[in-house]
Amino acid sequence: MKSAERDAWRLPPVSTLLTAVLLIACAEVGGASMAKWKLELSRWARSAILARPAVHGLVGVRDVDEGVIDESLVKFDAALRLFHLHAEGMGLVIIATTMTAATLARGDGTRRALTALLTVGGAGYPTGYLLWSVLIPHYGIERGKALAEWLVWIPFGGATIVAMWWLTALVGLRLVRRS
Amino acid sequence: MRRPPLVVVFVAVLVIALGETAGAVMSTLRPQLDRYARARVAANPQAHGLAGSAEYDGEITARAVYTAEAGLSFFHTHAQGLGLVVLFTGTVAATAVRWRRARAVLYVLLTAGGLFPAGYLVYSLAALEWGKDAGVELAERYVLTPLGSAAILGLVALAALIVASRRGRGPA
Repeated sequence: MKSAERDAWRLPPVSTLLTAVLLIACAEVGGASMAKWKLELSRWARSAILARPAVHGLVGVRDVDEGVIDESLVKFDAALRLFHLHAEGMGLVIIATTMTAATLARGDGTRRALTALLTVGGAGYPTGYLLWSVLIPHYGIERGKALAEWLVWIPFGGATIVAMWWLTALVGLRLVRRS
Repeated sequence: MRRPPLVVVFVAVLVIALGETAGAVMSTLRPQLDRYARARVAANPQAHGLAGSAEYDGEITARAVYTAEAGLSFFHTHAQGLGLVVLFTGTVAATAVRWRRARAVLYVLLTAGGLFPAGYLVYSLAALEWGKDAGVELAERYVLTPLGSAAILGLVALAALIVASRRGRGPA
């Protein structure tokens, strides 16, 4: 292998790049939608909360209920923002880390497993915030969070963290062997 | 595109891995972290200026715990970002800068800059051990400022060297 070839980055599979680019695009659209339809989103969430008084612990006293509704709306908005931020970040993380795996992981199996974990984990994780925002008006803040955690954050975030430490160990091992 | 040396890639990947893990820890171990922070504040009453009045001490403790949590949160976000910055700017340096020694200096500066988020871990711990203001000042003076300056210097030098490399090449 020539030196220039050895020192060049290798691209990850096109499906991975496409996933990352689509994720970043979704994040951008999410950010724009939050700004454009802020009022409509807030109205929808408010009406969904009011339709489920028992879930949110509403008691029918305006002064008490307004505080509860406000807290849920703040969390609803925060979840949408976190989707926007995490989707943008994870899109870039997918590109950078799968490029590293494609270049530095030696075995085909290792490379494929790392790429799959980083792509699926990285793309799936931010959708947990979107799910949480949808669940808050229907199931409340804590129940919605628990559902998003078990359905999305733990499996997808776990996959990403496992793959990241695997990749770190792999690069570290190559560094030690070379020195 | 050429890849930077393995050590640069290693630091970048390590910092991203730490950032992601910190996010998960913050989310799943929040009550434990909160308990630990409160215990550390209580263990250092003089550093925090606790006076023995429940109301006053409660407010001081809450502020210190908030600062420690903010430090962890900053660590999470900065580590994810800086890891990518090191990887991508290292790649730009490897590809666009012609001079080997200049590239080596850039790698050192950018890699040191990539460790900048560690300053927020120090920020969190120091705020609990030495008090909010003294801890934050210590982290800023001895970790965040030097490492952040290395990152800024590296990026400015990279920009200058890209221009110099293009000029040195002459017209296409």
